[in-house]
Amino acid sequence: MAREYDTYTDDVSTIKEGVEITIAIRETDIYRTRVVKAIVSSNKKALPDGDTLWVRYNLGPLRPEPWAIKILADVPGLLIKKAVGDQ
Amino acid sequence: MAHKDLREFIEALDKAGHLVKVKQEVDWNLEVGAIIRKACELEERATLFEKVKDAPGVRILGSPCATYARLAVAMGMDAGRPVKEIAKEFDKRIANPIKPLLVSSGPCKENIIKGKDIDLFKFGVPMIHDGDGGRYISTWHFIVTRDFDSSWVNWGMYRQMIHNETMMGGMLLPFQHIGKIFQKYEKANKPMPFATAIGTEPLCAVAGVLSPGMGVNEADLAGGLRKEPVELVKCETVDLEVPAHAEIVIEGHVLPGVRVDEGPFGEYTGFSSAPRNPRPVYEVSCITHRHNPILTVSNMGMPVDDNDIITNSSFRNVANSVLAGLPVVDVDVPAYGSCHLVVVSVRRAYSGIAHHVASAIWGSKLGSQAPYIIVVDEDVDVFNLGEVIHAVVMKCHPVRGVHAQPNSPGHALWPFLNFHERHWGQAAHLLLDCTWPVDWDPNIEIPAKISFGTSYPKALQEKVVSNWGKYGF
Repeated sequence: MAREYDTYTDDVSTIKEGVEITIAIRETDIYRTRVVKAIVSSNKKALPDGDTLWVRYNLGPLRPEPWAIKILADVPGLLIKKAVGDQ
Repeated sequence: MAHKDLREFIEALDKAGHLVKVKQEVDWNLEVGAIIRKACELEERATLFEKVKDAPGVRILGSPCATYARLAVAMGMDAGRPVKEIAKEFDKRIANPIKPLLVSSGPCKENIIKGKDIDLFKFGVPMIHDGDGGRYISTWHFIVTRDFDSSWVNWGMYRQMIHNETMMGGMLLPFQHIGKIFQKYEKANKPMPFATAIGTEPLCAVAGVLSPGMGVNEADLAGGLRKEPVELVKCETVDLEVPAHAEIVIEGHVLPGVRVDEGPFGEYTGFSSAPRNPRPVYEVSCITHRHNPILTVSNMGMPVDDNDIITNSSFRNVANSVLAGLPVVDVDVPAYGSCHLVVVSVRRAYSGIAHHVASAIWGSKLGSQAPYIIVVDEDVDVFNLGEVIHAVVMKCHPVRGVHAQPNSPGHALWPFLNFHERHWGQAAHLLLDCTWPVDWDPNIEIPAKISFGTSYPKALQEKVVSNWGKYGF
C-alpha cells in the first residue's frame, strides 16, 4: 500500500528530480522525520511504483499537487545543516 | 497554600468549575489542538483529555493557565478575583523568592527509561496546528540548563519539536537566556546538558516564563510564587535537578554545531511567522515519568491563551522593576497584546516623561520583546483596555505623539518584520505618548474630561449612587 510523506521547501527547483538524492521527509501518519536516499518526481506517472510526497512551503502551507517518491534506503540520523537565521 | 503537583491543581480547577473532562477518545492528530484552540478563543475552561488515541494511560491537560481565573486558582486564590488584584499578589510573591529543597526521590521517578526504550511518541503528543513542522511535546513546561561557567540555573519555556524517537529540535534565540548559555557551550564545542520538566505544579511552569536578569534562578521565584520551596530531585543522566512532582522529565544534551530543520509552529504572536529553518538539536538520554502521566499542552495562537496571561504577569513584573524611581502609577501588559504592548500610566511630572519610560523599558531585556509602548496619564486605568484605546485616539497626536525608533532589536517571530528582518532580528519600536503636554495650561489648553467621576459635584455623585436602585436601574 502506498505510503504518504511530506517535505518542506519554498523553491521546488532545489529538489532534483529523477536522480538519487538524500532528502529529509516526514512520515505523515506519525510525523516522524526520516532521512532517505530516494528518487523523486513532480510527475506521479514518472514513478508509478512510488509513494506520495507532499511538498509544503517553509511556513507550512501545502502545495496542491503531490509528488512521487521512491525510497531506496534509509540514512541513519538527521539531515545536518549549517546554521542560518534566528539571529 | 501551594498545590503539591499538577494533579492537585487539576482537582482545584474542577472544584472551582474551571475544568472540562473529555472522556471520549480524541485524536492527537489535530483534534486535541482544535479543541484547545476553540476553548481558548471562547475563553472557556481548561480541558482534561482522559483518552488519547494511540497513547494508553496518558492524559492531556489543555491550556492550564489561559485565563486569569485559572492563574488565580494556581496561586490558591479565589477564581473570581479582579485581574489587578491577581497582578498585585503576583508581584508581592515574586519579591520574596524561596530557595528550592533537594530531596532524594519523587513521583517523577516512577518510571525510568533509557537507551533503546526511549520513545518520545509514546506520550500522545499532539500535532497542534495544521502545517506545524512536527509534534511539539514542549509547549507548557520548562527547560532546565546550567550556565557554562557559573552555578546559575535557568528555567525557561522554549518550544521542543519531536524529530524522531530520541531527538528534538527547538529555537534558541541569542537574546534568550538559554541561547546565551548555549552560545558558551557551543563556543567550547561542548554539549549542553538539559532537562525538560513537563506537567509540573503550574506555578513552576509560570516561573519558567518569568524574565528575571541573568544569574537569577527561576526555581527561587517559583518558591516565592508558591510561598513554599519547590522540591527538586537529581536527574539520571545529567547534572541537573528537576521538580520531584513533574509528570514527565526528558533529559539529554543539546549538540554543539549541529542544526536540523525545525518548525514552523503556530506561535504566541497568533501567526506561524518563523519558517522552517536549521535549528539546534536536543538528543535525549533518559525519560522519567509518573504512572499514567499527564502531558500539559498550550495551544498558542490568536489571544487569549496561556502565553498571553503568563507573559502579562512576568513582563509587567520586569517593567515595574526597570521603571523604579520614575513617576509611574501603574503598568500593564494587556493579554490581547500578546506581550508586545506595555501600557504605563504616569503622573504629570515633567516634559518627555513618556520617552523616559520607553527608554527604560527598551533599554532592558524587554527591549527585544515589547515593540509597542503606550504611556497614559494617571487617570487612565491601564488594566482597562477600553480606556487605553480611548486615550490613544483622543490624546495621542497622530504626528507629535507618535515616536518610532528604528534599528531596534527584534524577534524572529514578529509577524510585521519581513523575512530578512526576522532572520537578523532587525526591528523598530513605537511609542504612543497619550499624556497631556506639561506645558499645556490645565485651565486653558487641557480639555475637561467628561465622565461621571469628573463632570459632577462629589455630593451629587454620592446622591446618584445611593439612589441608583430607586431610579429603576
